[in-house]
Amino acid sequence: MAVMTQTASPDPVQPASGGDRIARFFREYYIYFVLVAVVVLLSVANLDKFDLFERGNFLNQNNIINILRVSAPLLTLAGAFTLLMVSGYIDLSVGSAMSLSAVIYALLAINGVPFLPAFALTVVAGAGLGAINGFLVVRLRITPVIATLITLSLYKGLALLLVQDGVSAIKSGGGLKMPSWFNTYGRVGTFLELPAAFWVAVIVTVILIVAQNRTLLGKYAAATGGNPTAAKLSGINTGAIVFLLYVIVGMTAALAGIARSSFMSLGDPLSGDGMELTAILVVLLGGTAFSGGEGRVIKSFIGALIIMALTVGMLTLVPAYFQTLVLGAALLAAAASNHLVSRKESRS
Amino acid sequence: MTGQEPDAVLSVENLTKDYPGVRAVDDVSFSIQSRTIHCLVGENGAGKSTLVKMLTGALKPTSGTMKVRGADYRPGNPHDAREGGIATLFQELHVVDELTVQENLTLGMEESRFGFLVKSDLDRRVVATLKAIEPSIDPATRVSRLSVAQKQIVEIARAASSGASVIIMDEPTAALSEREVERLFGVIRRLRESDVTVVYISHKLDEIFDLGDAVTVLRDGKHIATKPLSEVAGRAELIQMMIGRTVFQSYTPRDTVTDDTVLVARNLSNHLLQDVSFHINRGEIVGFYGLVGAGKTEIARAVFGADRFTGSVHFKGKDIGGSPERAIASGIALVPEERRTQGLFTSMTIRENIPVMNLRRLSNGGVYRSSAERAAAVEYVGKLSIATDTIEKHAEKLSGGNQQKVVLSKCLFADADLLLLDEPTRGVDVGAKTEIYAIIRDLADRGNAVAVFSSELEEVLGLCDRILLLFSGSLEEEIANGPEVDVAHILHVVTGGGEHAVQ
Repeated sequence: MAVMTQTASPDPVQPASGGDRIARFFREYYIYFVLVAVVVLLSVANLDKFDLFERGNFLNQNNIINILRVSAPLLTLAGAFTLLMVSGYIDLSVGSAMSLSAVIYALLAINGVPFLPAFALTVVAGAGLGAINGFLVVRLRITPVIATLITLSLYKGLALLLVQDGVSAIKSGGGLKMPSWFNTYGRVGTFLELPAAFWVAVIVTVILIVAQNRTLLGKYAAATGGNPTAAKLSGINTGAIVFLLYVIVGMTAALAGIARSSFMSLGDPLSGDGMELTAILVVLLGGTAFSGGEGRVIKSFIGALIIMALTVGMLTLVPAYFQTLVLGAALLAAAASNHLVSRKESRS
Repeated sequence: MTGQEPDAVLSVENLTKDYPGVRAVDDVSFSIQSRTIHCLVGENGAGKSTLVKMLTGALKPTSGTMKVRGADYRPGNPHDAREGGIATLFQELHVVDELTVQENLTLGMEESRFGFLVKSDLDRRVVATLKAIEPSIDPATRVSRLSVAQKQIVEIARAASSGASVIIMDEPTAALSEREVERLFGVIRRLRESDVTVVYISHKLDEIFDLGDAVTVLRDGKHIATKPLSEVAGRAELIQMMIGRTVFQSYTPRDTVTDDTVLVARNLSNHLLQDVSFHINRGEIVGFYGLVGAGKTEIARAVFGADRFTGSVHFKGKDIGGSPERAIASGIALVPEERRTQGLFTSMTIRENIPVMNLRRLSNGGVYRSSAERAAAVEYVGKLSIATDTIEKHAEKLSGGNQQKVVLSKCLFADADLLLLDEPTRGVDVGAKTEIYAIIRDLADRGNAVAVFSSELEEVLGLCDRILLLFSGSLEEEIANGPEVDVAHILHVVTGGGEHAVQ
């Protein structure tokens, strides 16, 4: 079995023709071009003084830091969400899981639990929320969209329940006070003036990139999404893979909740509202196939940066209520391009 | 046979259909008399389904003509065929479960005024048709409460009430129990009385003698005969016409067959299988031969742990029943029946496909070795001469034969001692077929056990050392392959003429 045989064809590792190569290059790197284009566009549109990096302009250091700081929750989520979608599944409850985690984290902190235990307990809780999703989908065989729609509602209800009547969020007041360390994690610069929450997002993404490219988890996820029947007949325990991915998504949702809660200095039971749509948008923008099988963690990370740059960059240009509209249009563009690419490929 | 007989409802003249490299239907001419049950028989690949597809407008003939009641008939699509009075009963049913029988019967033909449904004599007509062919079905019942057989009858009634003069039925009894078959036959006979012609396609020869008025035999795309069944002497004559004088002699006895049994399956039973027991030895190629619905795939999937069953499977003395995971871990690999939907990751590259069954082999403590993956892909592309310019090619862009070689590579990479090959050369061109046969023989020569599940007699006769004949889920007979093998006897057994079937 181990003996290498020479092949008849010249060198099977070499890629194909020139035109093919250009198409492949574009498909591989288009997301980076989009990022550059968005940054250039926003810089020009926001230009109000001559120096690009001056205060008030898009490329100003404080502006960039601000964007990256508020991006932390989405950046944390995007990678795990990508792997789940690559395996052909979806989690609509991420936003609610994030809200619930934010509330849990704030509750722990305000009741005197120190940073690290509060952090760890919240992440464990997030894993539990993911495990519930995994159980509903894998064990009870409820359609992923339905199952996570149910938990979207459940987790959100639970988050609202944990916040007392008469207040909108967990915050200082009524004899309890948020500890002073609470907003350090999401707001205060630690390295390169960026807060720990951002660096955690980067670390999570790096871990998931390695997991996707260099471990069996990535291979199994792609096989499960590419052809579930063939994956099962190839001896892959697809149920276990999907369950594990739901747990990972739950954990990143908890990390996102912690980041958001710390940034806002309160436990808002609605802080994750709409996050599932943004996550889907980001992942599709990164070229992940909605049907599963294809998609890259790194591209979703870039996609998340694009969306956050757009969201923040547009603030000075158009009224806030336009943003949702623009994001919807971006999702439409992403879905359409996804469709066009796959149609073109199936034709060739 | 080629002339326009007065009472012909449907006739074809010099009908030919070419596919790239294959002539599926070759200059076929015959006609079907009105108000008869006309059977169409032939081995797999004889051209039956291509012929039916042309009649129903799903395929366009390369040359030749078709006529309905003497008038030129050129259906561009299945809808045209319905207009022309030709309806088809496919194996998969097209009824809406949530509607009543009557609503199903009038579906798409309702009359309306200003968008509101109005009563018409249509309802009366469809109910009358249904009553005529099967009085026991209540038109007000929801279709979801009917059995498969009853749904089939609803579909037949719909075809009949829409004015079809010819109804084509492709293997209608494949999913039916014996009693249901009897009932369906009653329906078909009553259809004939109400001036409908039935074209009946089946592998089960007993059904043909039971039901048919006339029979048309196709072989290798050519028309062999059309005659009244009263003029056919019996099963033997029909089988003779189906197989002709084809000589299947590419089998050469192999000397690596051992007595060292690796797999013992006892009393496998499930929804289809009935008490199937067999064993497979090291170095041996065992063929499982039977027609559609005989239980080949079910046996393969049961041994592999992909389907539930009762009974036991012991591999190298150990019970391995359960899951594909455990089967692969203990050294069994399956090439599934449907390559594109079950075997291959079409959106992945060749490189990514090959190691899928044994990814652990490429991983060091969880870390995946991409260089080893590339090396393995290059190795198997060379070993099985998969025709591609790069291992980065997506599997969907390969030809059928090369796709199958990729699926085979997956199994080889899994280092299996027993390979279960379900229809290993379906949809594969002749050249690749020969290569795949060579690969299979080579595997057995090197001491692996191989089971080939095939509905192509030529394949089984050319390749296998021992042949197990299946009919309707039970193992009918086991024969040793060799020069004196009796082909007519094999066909007799797999079409329901075996000892078991008589009981």
